[in-house]
Amino acid sequence: MARTVILGAGIAGHTAALHLRRMLGKEHDVVVVSPNSKWNWIPSNIWVGVGKMDKKRVTFPLAPIYARKGVEFHQALATELHGEGSPDHPHPYVTVRYTGPSRQGKTANLDYDFLINATGPKLTFEATPGLGPQGNSWSVCTAEHAVETSQALQDVIGKLQRGTPQTLLIGMGHGTCTCQGAAFEYTFNVEHELVQAGVRDKAEVIYITNEVQLGDFGMDGMNFGTKDGVVPSQMFTESLFKERGVKAIMAAAVERVEPGVVHYEQLDGTKGEQAFDFAMLLPPFRGADLKAFDREGNEITDQVFAPSGFMKVDADYSPKPYEQWKPSDWPKTYQSVKYDNVWAAGIAFAPPHQMSKPHKTPNGTAIAPAPPRTGMPSGVIGRAVAKTIAERIKHGDRGKVHTASMADMGAACIASAGTGWRQGQAAAMTVYPIIPDKERYGEQGRDTKETYGEIGLSAHWMKVMLHHLFIYKAKARPLWYLIPE
Amino acid sequence: MDNVTTFPEAHVPDEKELKSRKNVLVQGMRFAVLNLKMIAMINKGHH
Repeated sequence: MARTVILGAGIAGHTAALHLRRMLGKEHDVVVVSPNSKWNWIPSNIWVGVGKMDKKRVTFPLAPIYARKGVEFHQALATELHGEGSPDHPHPYVTVRYTGPSRQGKTANLDYDFLINATGPKLTFEATPGLGPQGNSWSVCTAEHAVETSQALQDVIGKLQRGTPQTLLIGMGHGTCTCQGAAFEYTFNVEHELVQAGVRDKAEVIYITNEVQLGDFGMDGMNFGTKDGVVPSQMFTESLFKERGVKAIMAAAVERVEPGVVHYEQLDGTKGEQAFDFAMLLPPFRGADLKAFDREGNEITDQVFAPSGFMKVDADYSPKPYEQWKPSDWPKTYQSVKYDNVWAAGIAFAPPHQMSKPHKTPNGTAIAPAPPRTGMPSGVIGRAVAKTIAERIKHGDRGKVHTASMADMGAACIASAGTGWRQGQAAAMTVYPIIPDKERYGEQGRDTKETYGEIGLSAHWMKVMLHHLFIYKAKARPLWYLIPE
Repeated sequence: MDNVTTFPEAHVPDEKELKSRKNVLVQGMRFAVLNLKMIAMINKGHH
């Protein structure tokens, strides 16, 4: 009998748990630890944040799903990793602190034979003074945040309807943020709502970003193959901004958010400020800040985790100049550098470097979009790790090691730009490979036959379809496993 | 507002392109193409 503990129940962790449970017999335990009682389809938080979707349609309780599938569930936050056990308990374990109402604050040690760290991102609002719902801006990172943001947006629309001009600022709240795609989506959904409310002419919509060029998306931009030739994502994105009358502040590191005004620094070192009536600014991410200990109880966190809090895996972390970065630097198996029975899946693994060229201002401020790890690669990685563990349990060291390198994986992104069966719009983008590879694909860095962008109603339908498909899959309904990650 | 960019040189879609983006028949076909492209992408990423 083997016991696999999965920390986190987001896209990577939940996918891994369901696949492991499906692949292993009942004699093996699959255990999920998550501080949240509910699963959240985060891409649709955008629609919650503009009031077009109820929170209940993007979340559901995890406990009944896990009870039905035979997965042991602990609503708890993992705090310590003891990969070698301790003198009086010579078996690997994790220490968790319960967050659910019945055992709130109590701690426990959970033994494991195999461990998947899929703890996702820690939202680091505190990196920028005044950032976030506890400060002076809004967020759509969680369903609860999105509900609050929607209410604030409705207040702004009310003021516009009463004739008061308003400035709406949307984007990235720090120079090292990732998830530009989410801010991009929210910008165009808000713009769409303003049009629908008949108040667009009274509103200024401004996108603020740490991207040096629009369309970078933290992936060094893309070059879309079209019948008319190669179109850079910069051109594609700027066209949408101009068409919708959305302005932008680019290459900006937000320094602080005061009530009604954002202070930022741009790449050339100039400082600026932007007044706003409504601001939705995403925070930077870091790892879950698990602490690691050896058998004697000495802290070895720096051996297991990068300074960012993400787990070090089979990547090449040696520091080298941007020009020497290679796709082969990126991890393939996601196995921990320290333990051969521990993996990190989804956002929890430490990337070896950014995809976009990192910059610093003359004052030393980083303007360096972090690499995005969206739902599709997170799910694929979660499944690959689950398959590797199932092989190890069934066949020992002879078991096949499954790989899922982002340098050999494509991704699809549907960025909503407004809802409605006849009026909806979205930008559909596919990219292959996720990590640019100039050795294989020349200066374009990617296969332009597979890298593609299109705006239209069909992409909106696709986004709606994916919303329903992935929630169906996450609820482990019949034949869920036939739906790809 | 000096640092705010408005992209004066950017391409703006013409009337025909904008109509095409909302035409149900055209978009129905694009939906089918998009699905095929996604399936191809998924097959490349799932080993």
